Amino acid sequence: MNNPSRSEAVIPGFKMIKPVLDVVITIIAWLYYTLGFVLFFSPFYVAVSLFSKESERGFQNLNRLFYHYFFKLVAGITPGLTFRLSESVRSIHSSVVVCNHVSYLDPILLISTFPRQKTIVKHTFFRVPILSWLLKRSGYLPSTTQDGLDVLMIEQMQKMDTFLQERGVLFIFPEGTRSRDGRIGRLNSGAFKIARQFHAPITVVRIRNTNHLFRPGRFRFNTCVTNPVSIERLGVVNPDENGQILSTTELMTRTRSLMQADP
Amino acid sequence: MNLTREQLQHKLLRIFEENFEIKNPGLDDDLREAYEFDSIDAIGLLVEIERIMGVKLSQEKKKQSMDIRTINDICNYVETIHIARS
Repeated sequence: MNNPSRSEAVIPGFKMIKPVLDVVITIIAWLYYTLGFVLFFSPFYVAVSLFSKESERGFQNLNRLFYHYFFKLVAGITPGLTFRLSESVRSIHSSVVVCNHVSYLDPILLISTFPRQKTIVKHTFFRVPILSWLLKRSGYLPSTTQDGLDVLMIEQMQKMDTFLQERGVLFIFPEGTRSRDGRIGRLNSGAFKIARQFHAPITVVRIRNTNHLFRPGRFRFNTCVTNPVSIERLGVVNPDENGQILSTTELMTRTRSLMQADP
Repeated sequence: MNLTREQLQHKLLRIFEENFEIKNPGLDDDLREAYEFDSIDAIGLLVEIERIMGVKLSQEKKKQSMDIRTINDICNYVETIHIARS
């Protein structure tokens, strides 16, 4: 489980420098996130925006690369941190992916995993300049139709069938918010309604330990502790069963039982 | 589309049961409050309305549908579009 109170013994030999490394690694990560984006990635985003016939696909691929190198950098400079991602997760496609949520790192970890990815983003992020442009051009969906986002939501939902057929992944955190104690909270029905509407399989995955790297309520990365971050594939729930479409409630029950299963 | 309002209501009630798992809602029930009919459902309903009417709705018309609350609202919405087209 993602137990936040687990023992986090500092790796021998790092006790003295851990506070310094926490700060230095956090600064490097944020520099990549900001300056790295502007210097190394923004020209490609602009080029894709101007010249690509499939700019949405291009944006999604750039997002994946940007976050892939983010995690590669963080893993490379953080003592004790490892990432484990099985081939069974990488190979997921044409599916609604449902995942537990324990850290702000979870969405970007999933973006770094899937070449063609969409997700549902809190509607307030669509008010932030530049970020809003990136989200829209990437084909991500707003969480509500407030703030004039109804047209965007309609457009994206209309394209969802094709997106899923073209090996796309729509990943959603059905709890809607981060779990503070690792337990699975109340599930919202949106992901399951979409899977039902488009007859898409629901692949259930579990993220572990991102909350130990970037802890809720803290600004600094937690380094110098043994921390294997992983994504596991827990199973698949298919909305179509024996020629019948399962109810949203049944899909939610089956998904919850997979999410709660012990390893 | 050659449907009376009654036939339209009947069709919609069947769609609500089959697609949205909402059985026999009152014609003036607030679908959002009473049945958690949300924007994802509303967009799914638009596909069905297009199928019933045999036309593609404009983005402006689709946007208007986001304010729909009741079965009677949906009937009014469909009838208004039908009258405007004919």
